[in-house]
Formats: sequence, structure tokens, C-alpha cells
Amino acid sequence: MKKNDFEQLVDRQYAALFRFALSLSKSEAEAADLTQQTFFLWASKGHQLRDRSKAKSWLFTTLYREFLGRRRHEGRFPKVELDEVGEEEMSILPNVNALDSATLLQALREVEELFRAPVTLFYLEQFSYQEIADVLEVPIGTVMSRLSRGKAQLRQRLLSKEEALGNKIVSFQSERKEKGHG
Amino acid sequence: MDNREARFILSAYRPGGQDASDPRFAEALDQVRRDPILEQWFRDSLTFDTAMTDKLRAMTTPTDLRENILAGLKISRVSDWKSRLAKWAIAAALILSAALGSLIWHNTRPTRLADWQTQALDVISSLVRNESSFDSQSNQPAELIAWLRVNHAPAAQKLPDNLNKLASLGCKTFSSNGISVSVICFMRPDGGLIHLITTNAPAPSARPLKTTPKSAQQGEWATATWREGDRIYMLALEGSRDQLQSYLL
Repeated sequence: MKKNDFEQLVDRQYAALFRFALSLSKSEAEAADLTQQTFFLWASKGHQLRDRSKAKSWLFTTLYREFLGRRRHEGRFPKVELDEVGEEEMSILPNVNALDSATLLQALREVEELFRAPVTLFYLEQFSYQEIADVLEVPIGTVMSRLSRGKAQLRQRLLSKEEALGNKIVSFQSERKEKGHG
Repeated sequence: MDNREARFILSAYRPGGQDASDPRFAEALDQVRRDPILEQWFRDSLTFDTAMTDKLRAMTTPTDLRENILAGLKISRVSDWKSRLAKWAIAAALILSAALGSLIWHNTRPTRLADWQTQALDVISSLVRNESSFDSQSNQPAELIAWLRVNHAPAAQKLPDNLNKLASLGCKTFSSNGISVSVICFMRPDGGLIHLITTNAPAPSARPLKTTPKSAQQGEWATATWREGDRIYMLALEGSRDQLQSYLL
């Protein structure tokens, strides 16, 4: 890969990769390190990718693998809870505009690791479920399940933060009616 | 499909409308049109998702991250290779023990590289894939040549002028059927790598190498091989012969 090509790829993707890493990792320093490591891996192995249009997906996949590898190495891979998403969680939405980015990021980091990656890819890059499946190397059905659960967890965390900040909770009046219908 | 199932599927529906024609969402979207309660949930959900996207994208990145990535590229290439020394030692032993019967004068064949040349390309590939490391590292080619001489490894008497202008990364030595071979890796201005392989010339044979570089293309590798005094040199890069040509001057 030519130097200019590499720089262009960095310019196009480094911010999004950093934000993805930031949502996964515990600190800005770790996120920056993950981002840099991803590009270094691209510099040494990216030439093996025949289809250059998949460079973006390759970068996100590689960053995620790198993150998982470090977590496994540290023995911190979390226990996964697959509780059902409560009906209430689906029906009440926090007022995101009343929260700042730092609070959103904090809430995102509190989402279980398994669900956090697809949710971040969905919001950050507006990846389709197929693209998320490609990056995380899981079936489409799993992506939809994790998105559903991850978003529900995120809403819960945001609602908690809203309550802590004294913000108004926006709920749907119509939900009660819907529940009444079964 | 009930509302719960529709909401489950629509969790993957992007707020920008990119998925409007995706058949996987069709039934859930039909359900949205039929049910005003679900429609309200869907509308609010899209608003929530849009706000989340905007907020997350507004997060700032460290000001020096881009520069650190670009500046760290060269360092990464070198340091990653270094960490794989043990793996290389095992791999090299296996390769060399399996490589029998190579003869240096075979490199005079026009389209087929000799075994030592093929092995050299394998060694380089191993370095690039971070599976082995340099024996010595320096960005000064002269320092690497000096290191090779001190260690009784084949060292170039004189580098081609255009090669001598490049910064080096490191050197590595290996043995092919009892014949010592050395590799020096250089960083090209376009970010790629180019490699000089040196070995001692064998006793005069029926098909001696010419002093004029002879080029060959083997897969992604472009090579040029020539003899100079008691040394045989091969220059190699992943690319075309045209790219290689300018470094032979």
C-alpha cells in the first residue's frame, strides 16, 4: 500500500475507530492504543486483503479482535447474562438531548461487553446488521438479538443517569394502553 | 408477527432510512403501518437512535492520534518483527532442514528462482508477517553492513546508489544448504519495503551469473539478480519489475 493510500485510510477511519475503541475500553489511552495497533496491523497485513472495499470492515474487525484478545489475556472477559429484555425497558426512552456525550459514553460503557460492540457500531457508523455481523463474525440473528438487548441496556443506564441528574423521563402514554391489549 | 417481535427486528433498523427497502424489515414495517401504538414507538425509537448517533459522533478524538499513528508506522514494523524471534528460529530450522539440493547457479534460469532465493523471499515474508525478527536493526545501511561483516555474514561491497539513499530497517542472516545468506530491508519513500539479499558466489560453474542484473517475477515478488566480484546479489520487492528497476541504478 502506498504511503498516501495509508494516510488517506487513516484520515477516513481513525476517528470512528477511536470512538469504537473508546466505547469498548476503559480509558482514552487504551482506546488510542487499540486504534494505533489496528493501523499498524493494517500496515503489515492489510496487503493480504484482496478486496480493498472491505478495508473499513477489516479495520473494525481487527480492532474488535485485538480488544477481545487483550481482555482474554487479562482474564477479564465478562460473564454474559442473557436475561430477557423487559417490556418496560422497551417502552420508556430517555431524553438523549438532555445528556452530554461524556454521560452517553459512560452509559455505553456500562452496557455488557457482548452487547456494547454491536450497539456502538450501529450508532457510531450506522452499520447495517449485515455489516455488524461481518465485523463481529456472528450470524445476523445474533446481531439483532444483541442490538435489541444492548439498546435496552443502554436505555436503562441512560434512564438511571437521567434520574440521577433530575431530568424528565419521557415515557409513552400509549404503552400502558398497549400492555392492556396484551 | 406481534408487536414484540416487530420491535425486536426493528432494533436493527437504522434511523437514516437506509433499510427501508430491506425485505428483512418488510413485515415489521407493515406491522408498524397497521398499529398506531407500534408506529409511535417506532417514531420515538428512531428519534432516540438519531440523537444517539449525533451525540456519539460528536465525541472528540485526541489531537495527536492521527500523527501518532503515522509516526508509529515504521516503529511498529520493526518492533513487531523483533518480538517473534523464537518463532522464527523454529520455523527457520524446519525450513532449512527440509530444503535440500539447492544450488546457487540455478538462479541463472530465466523464470525460476534458486532455492536460496526462494528461501530468502520466505524469510522476508516471515518478517513482514511479524513471524520473525531482525538479527540487527538500524536505519543506517552502513551499520548493518558492518554488523554483517563482524558476524562473518555475506555483506555487500557496495550498495546501488539509489538503494544507499534509503533508510534501512534491519538485517537478517540464514543458511541455505550450508551457504550463508543475508538480507537487509529498506524502507521505500512510498512506504513499501525493498530488500537486498547477498550471498557468497560459488566456485565457477558452467553457467556463471552475469554482472548485469537479471530480473524475474515470481508471484507478487519482482527480483533482480547479479554477480559482482565474489558476491551474488538479489534485490526484491513486492511489486513490479518497473518499480524495482529504479533501485538498480
